[in-house]
Amino acid sequence: MTANVGFIGLGVMGRPMALNLIKGGYRLRTYGRRKETVDPLVAAGAAACGSPEEVARESDIVFTMVTTTQDVLEVVLGERGVLAGARPGSVAVDMGTISPAATRQIAARLAAAGVDALDAPVSGGGTGAKNGTLSIMVGGKPEVFDRVKPLFSCMGTNIVHVGPSGAGQVAKACNQIVMLTTLLGLAEAFTFAHRTGLDPERVYASLAGGAADCRIREVLGKRMVERNYAPGIEARLHYKDIQIALTEAHTLGMALPGTALVTQMFNALIGRGGGNQDSSQLWEVIDAIAAPRS
Amino acid sequence: MSVTVGFIGLGIMGAPMALNLLRGGYPLWVHDRRAEAAAPLAAAGARVCSSAEEAARPADVVFLMVADTAEVEEAVLGPAGVVAGAKPGTAVVVTTTTSPEASRRLADTLASRGVELLDAPVSGSEADAAAGSLTVMAGGRPEGFARVKPLLERLGSVVHVGPAGSGQLAKGCNQIVATLALEGVAEAFAFARQNGVDPVKVREALLGGFAASAVLAAQGERMLAEDFRPGFKARLHGEELGLVLETARRAGFALPGSALAAQHINALAGGAGGELDSSALIRVIERMNSRAKKGEEQ
Repeated sequence: MTANVGFIGLGVMGRPMALNLIKGGYRLRTYGRRKETVDPLVAAGAAACGSPEEVARESDIVFTMVTTTQDVLEVVLGERGVLAGARPGSVAVDMGTISPAATRQIAARLAAAGVDALDAPVSGGGTGAKNGTLSIMVGGKPEVFDRVKPLFSCMGTNIVHVGPSGAGQVAKACNQIVMLTTLLGLAEAFTFAHRTGLDPERVYASLAGGAADCRIREVLGKRMVERNYAPGIEARLHYKDIQIALTEAHTLGMALPGTALVTQMFNALIGRGGGNQDSSQLWEVIDAIAAPRS
Repeated sequence: MSVTVGFIGLGIMGAPMALNLLRGGYPLWVHDRRAEAAAPLAAAGARVCSSAEEAARPADVVFLMVADTAEVEEAVLGPAGVVAGAKPGTAVVVTTTTSPEASRRLADTLASRGVELLDAPVSGSEADAAAGSLTVMAGGRPEGFARVKPLLERLGSVVHVGPAGSGQLAKGCNQIVATLALEGVAEAFAFARQNGVDPVKVREALLGGFAASAVLAAQGERMLAEDFRPGFKARLHGEELGLVLETARRAGFALPGSALAAQHINALAGGAGGELDSSALIRVIERMNSRAKKGEEQ
């Protein structure tokens, strides 16, 4: 049986993900607030709906890919939201990066209406979304995960069921902790190299294949070296994600000292006007802390 | 002409502050949600009221010393709140620590009703509140400040920092300096002890030098005596620091040291430490540096 699939949120990430589901042979009903984001999906064969409720009404599985916790609350629980239309036995899958606590609350509200929920945030950026090579970190019941897994396979390659509801969001927060503290390390290394009179490009090349090599060096390091800050991932979005990790840590009563420091550097980056630029611009902040060049 | 004063919030800090106003000869009308909190004030001659509205009705100046922003807004704007009873021209003095933004917002709301808001958060201990030796950082219009200055001087030393919200921003600055001093003292004492040097002697030596501070003197003493009865609870310290970090976040401004210290306070609050005095921060530094004891080494 081919499932009827709904997809809500057709931004930089959502649109290519939805297109990959169509390519996988699924019938798609979709909703986006801006017409220009919906049109390419309609051209590829999707049916456009007037609200998330309308999308949910005839879907077996509904995906949401919107930006903030508040957006998800609105799209799922709000007026004419997914919950208003969803049938018992259907599944709501949120693939955005939001608060684990809010995720658990939303799942409880859906469960009360007989709707299963999965949290399935992704890593891999716009490129990963386009190529169907995202990492997908999933929280929810195992049998629900099994049901949705073939659809995840259209969008990603590394698909891991991490644990119960909220676990996907916790794993994504771990991903962001590693990613952004690594980014700070790279920014410091390139500033250090530059101030020592080295060519950052040579240093960039020299790190390849060593113990410090990683995707972040490869992709964001290259942007640093080229000072090309066209996003990529906008700093304000990483910033939003990192607040989620810090808020959760605060609730748990634990320290994330490195993450807290990176967050402050992001404060400075955004204060300088870099919120809509790629996060690799962080190295300009570290450069600005160093003594002015004579 | 005598100034009649309302005082709302008679907790650890509020009660001694209110007493100092009463002793200054000001007729005082008091209210606290817990009726028993007003008893010492009643015994000293204050009139006890059953609502903030009632305390505000006869008052020329109304003081608030409640827990946080939400309680301030409830006591001022809520049902049976200050605004319901206050006559036009009344001055409302908020000594609770809130965000500068919340303070400016409240000032605007009250101004439209002919009520003047001053933010006047305080720094100092319960003992300072009793002795009238707090530090008061005031924000608001100069005319409004001039009116309430004699009353604020009953509480401690007073500085008018600037327009509405400025007192709260100064309190935030106070929090940054005091927190980083606390982190520094905790690190120094743990470091001395680890190196076999008596931190009691270190404190004594430092008090005569460039690193001397109120934090080194008072919180330093608590650390060495392991006397972590509050004082300033770690949980509340974390919340106040959170207000400062939130203000910095909105401004796109980095406070790297404060953020790091806030993480250590998180770690302290995560055990049962939230209810301890925040000088227990030294325990976090010690945990971080703990070695396996001899015999445990494998």
